[in-house]
Amino acid sequence: MNTKFSINRLGLLLQRFFIENAQRELTFWAISTVVFMFLHETSMEALYIFIAGFIFAARSFRAFTYTPTGMHYLLLPATHFEKLLTAIILSTFYFLAAILVTYAIGNPIGTYLGNLILGYDNTVYYGLFNLGTTETLNMLVGFITVQAIFILGSVYFKRNAVGKTILVLIALMFVAVLAEVLFVKIIFGTTNFEFHNVNFDLSDSETLFPGVKYFGEVLKYSTAPFLWIVSYFRLTEKQV
Amino acid sequence: MIDINQVDFSYGKRTKLLSNLSLQLEAGRIHGLLGKNGEGKSTLLKLISGLVFPQAGSLDVMGFVPGKRYPEMLQQIFFLPEELPQLTLSIANYEKVYAPFYPDFNSEQFDAYLKEFDVENKHAKINKLSHGQKKKVMIAFGLATNTKLLLMDEPTNGLDIPSKGQFRRMVASAIDDSRCLIISTHQVHDLDSLIDNIIIMEKHEIVFNQTLETIGQKLLFRVADRNDKSEHVLYSEDTLRGLYQVCRNEGDEDTKVDIELLFNAVLNNTTEIKKIF
Repeated sequence: MNTKFSINRLGLLLQRFFIENAQRELTFWAISTVVFMFLHETSMEALYIFIAGFIFAARSFRAFTYTPTGMHYLLLPATHFEKLLTAIILSTFYFLAAILVTYAIGNPIGTYLGNLILGYDNTVYYGLFNLGTTETLNMLVGFITVQAIFILGSVYFKRNAVGKTILVLIALMFVAVLAEVLFVKIIFGTTNFEFHNVNFDLSDSETLFPGVKYFGEVLKYSTAPFLWIVSYFRLTEKQV
Repeated sequence: MIDINQVDFSYGKRTKLLSNLSLQLEAGRIHGLLGKNGEGKSTLLKLISGLVFPQAGSLDVMGFVPGKRYPEMLQQIFFLPEELPQLTLSIANYEKVYAPFYPDFNSEQFDAYLKEFDVENKHAKINKLSHGQKKKVMIAFGLATNTKLLLMDEPTNGLDIPSKGQFRRMVASAIDDSRCLIISTHQVHDLDSLIDNIIIMEKHEIVFNQTLETIGQKLLFRVADRNDKSEHVLYSEDTLRGLYQVCRNEGDEDTKVDIELLFNAVLNNTTEIKKIF
């Protein structure tokens, strides 16, 4: 028996998820298919994916909402890493796969029915993303980061993980804005630029400080792994 | 098998729930953990299984630090809590999902235990069963895991009278020299003729930890006349049938240990009883 990692135990944890949640997952697939029959090639499907995604991620450690279920989960003979990896695989890669499949089913059906009933002449697109573009890559990284935030929220908060994580995010954004205002005030002695912008976008090469773009790139790719590591340690410290 | 040394534990910043607690438990025995509500019995079981961590002191369970929750240790521990987890699976699916995590799980044993408990339909959803039925499923599963360490917190709560007898029989037959069972309860009658080591907690400490054999050698349990003023009496309870007494066993007499009477005696005359052991 391997203390660090066992692919067999990981498989058992994944199997556990699918057997325990078979009915709920089938319902989710059906709802997503119907949603994509109506929402395709608009900006609304991205919103649906993100909202459904973070709700899914925030339920990763819902066992902790009820102490005996949390005890049962923590005493499952698997490492904390295997349990976290299961949550990451399910809320990130499985969820995305489910979305792609349901889009590939829902979009053609919706387009076909639209053309048939309403007399449109729309072309059917099976793919949700334009693969190989920077925009798609950014969206994927953003999605994985959001999922990582809500996985951490799920392991951190015992109840109402979605709401509490959103509140913490709002609070952090508020602090970031305050810090930005303070920073500008210290550097320039004023916050009034008479309608000129100070560019703090870390991904933009025409930003205030040269080279900060690279820092932004590192931040973009390292946020999700950092949050996974924090989630891991939070899980190892979990007491019920 | 279990070595607990000078452990302190409290929930948050409240008064210590366990203070400087030390305890050594051997395999091959059924240990009865007795105490009033709120003394820390369940917390002690949680500490042993690694669900909570001590603030001071150390624990060694089968060579592992329980708080690390290594799979090698967890696959040799089954903990039946007083309140059961919410499970939406059928009994058959529960076995399918959870049994592979326990290398010594025996499916035939599980079926036999379920049959003994009169739980026939393995396709029934666990969350649709009554509390007693759920408990039977979990007890049957726990025994069938064949883990080296079984922890049961108030296992007979919710069981009907015939099931309590079945529970005693099943547990007695399932324990061998390599297994250790700790049963925490305040329903001492349910453990009658089952446990062979008695641990009593009082004021968040272990005040008594003796085998039934030793207790039988050193204490005498008897029903005496109300006028009996023997100096060997350590504790007595006035009942309709006479005075139920716990006395020093000066004459090396052989009597059956009355666990409830012993429990009350220990709580009421801790110092004197400690001196005897």
